[in-house]
Amino acid sequence: MGGKEDAEEFMTDIAQHRMGMRRRRPKLREGVTAGLVIRYLVLIGTVLLTIFPLAWLVLTSLRNSADIFAVPVRILPASITFGQYIAVFSQYGLDGYLWNTIIVSFATVVLVILLAVPCAYSMARFRLPGAKVIVSILLIMRMIPVVALAIPLFAVFAAIGLLDTLTALVLAHTASKLPVAIWLLMGFIQDLPKEIEESAQMDGASTLRIIVQIVSPLIAPGIGATAVITFLFTWNDLLLALTLSSSEAAQTLPVGLTNFVSQFGIDWGAMSAAGVLMVIPTLIFVWFAQGLLVKGLVSGAVRG
Amino acid sequence: MTAAAQPAGRRWRGSPLAPSWQKGYLFASPALIVMIAILIYPLIYSFVMSFYRWDLSSPSQYFVGLSNYRDTFNSLGFKQTLRVQLIFSAVTIVVEVAAGMGVAVLVNGRLRGLKLARTLLLVPPMIAPAVVGLNFRWLFNGQYGLVNGILRFLGLPEAPWLSDPDWALASVMIADIWQNTPLLVLLFLAGLQSLPQEPIEAAQVDGASSWGIFWHITLPLMRPILMIALMLRIIDTFRTFDVVWLMTQGGPGGATSLITVNAYQSAFQSASFGHASAVSYVALAMSLLFLALLYGAPWAARKMRRNS
Repeated sequence: MGGKEDAEEFMTDIAQHRMGMRRRRPKLREGVTAGLVIRYLVLIGTVLLTIFPLAWLVLTSLRNSADIFAVPVRILPASITFGQYIAVFSQYGLDGYLWNTIIVSFATVVLVILLAVPCAYSMARFRLPGAKVIVSILLIMRMIPVVALAIPLFAVFAAIGLLDTLTALVLAHTASKLPVAIWLLMGFIQDLPKEIEESAQMDGASTLRIIVQIVSPLIAPGIGATAVITFLFTWNDLLLALTLSSSEAAQTLPVGLTNFVSQFGIDWGAMSAAGVLMVIPTLIFVWFAQGLLVKGLVSGAVRG
Repeated sequence: MTAAAQPAGRRWRGSPLAPSWQKGYLFASPALIVMIAILIYPLIYSFVMSFYRWDLSSPSQYFVGLSNYRDTFNSLGFKQTLRVQLIFSAVTIVVEVAAGMGVAVLVNGRLRGLKLARTLLLVPPMIAPAVVGLNFRWLFNGQYGLVNGILRFLGLPEAPWLSDPDWALASVMIADIWQNTPLLVLLFLAGLQSLPQEPIEAAQVDGASSWGIFWHITLPLMRPILMIALMLRIIDTFRTFDVVWLMTQGGPGGATSLITVNAYQSAFQSASFGHASAVSYVALAMSLLFLALLYGAPWAARKMRRNS
């Protein structure tokens, strides 16, 4: 008995010595401890800091102009009005920007998924010579500043007369989102057991059929995560749209926001309303697809 | 990285059903062609053009060697950009990674409301940086902004958030930190949950302090994820554009002009594309340099320790 305790004492001493720690009695479930209070304070503080600036954006969008320029600042609006949201459409023509953004984002998602799934499948499952090179290029593409791409794309699209069209934006976004999409999907495909595909092949299924009917349903969460991430990054993009579009024919919401600054002075109320409208799809995806999003972001990051 | 790079075909070896690589390229080719045409070709084109005089105003393009790069590094504006970029990158990376790790370690475990908090933490990294920039521009507005309003209410001196050069850089960094720290919290939380619990429990039984456990057990175990977080932040910090563009457009007087802002301005406001291309490749070179330091420093340290 004593020998065992001695041994334990000895091991503890070694552990403490190695870690340079002071000796202390282990605390066993004491209910509310100072540590727990601190942890909850950190949690609450982090959440407040996270939502507070956004809450302020929403509050600003619900005020009338007099209330916005009140000194001293009123935390709660004197009265709630949706006037800014109406103004955003009636005065600033936000519906045009909104449609452009919706069209570009959805078209990009469809194209990216259609192109990336077969590419990721063959990269994951076929013995492609040069696959390593392709994968390294995909990863380098993730590092390149968007402006490095925007400059030559401007010249190329100007040369073929595609500047200021939605087509140019969709093409640019599709190409620039493909590397990450392929990378993410490759990971999901590699996690699948090969046996199902092998037996399908034995039964004479073509590769196309295997991709469409067997692999795609199995990696549906992966496709979902890739689609959501592609959608949000296209929806949020400022730089490509700023470069490649010059009129309301192709300008998207983030570019519309820059126009609020330069064109009309700064109408904070309307700008906040436009900002809130821009954030809504993000909030919807975060609420309903957070599992997919986190999976995509974390697995993409860990694999990257 | 290496596991994915390995051609999965190796596992088919010896199987009569081993698919042919020609067929593989057939299915990969649509995506590869799109990327080559719209991504890789333009990038190579602009890289080549960074050695040319290439202005939109004049049709003549001629080879100038390294002179775009030399002019870039010699120009006063770029020296300021470099300084601004280095401060921005160093401060935001350190603060975001340290704060992200701190919050993740403290809230990890069975706290009530953690699930909801995780959902909310996903919001800032996912919303448009343009909206973040705009929103912080409003919060930091000198006269009507909330931040100065609160300072005034508390009887504290107001700050010239966006009008003073030094304050403007700080403001832009605060917006970046607000947007990007939450993602690191989520990444570190995911990492903490995948750690083996035995060493931590053993140390707890032995009466190790929380700080000792964090410093001697958790942090070394989290090293791979820490490296990933640093890598992601290094890559993105040299790509940052949107937040700054909507908050300050690089001003006042170039005080917040990051490399990408500098490149955008010389391309689309001064129309000197060759010069702008050179600047954008300097941004890429700098992020590669930082990544090399990130991965090279531990290696060099290990080697020196072995030699001594």
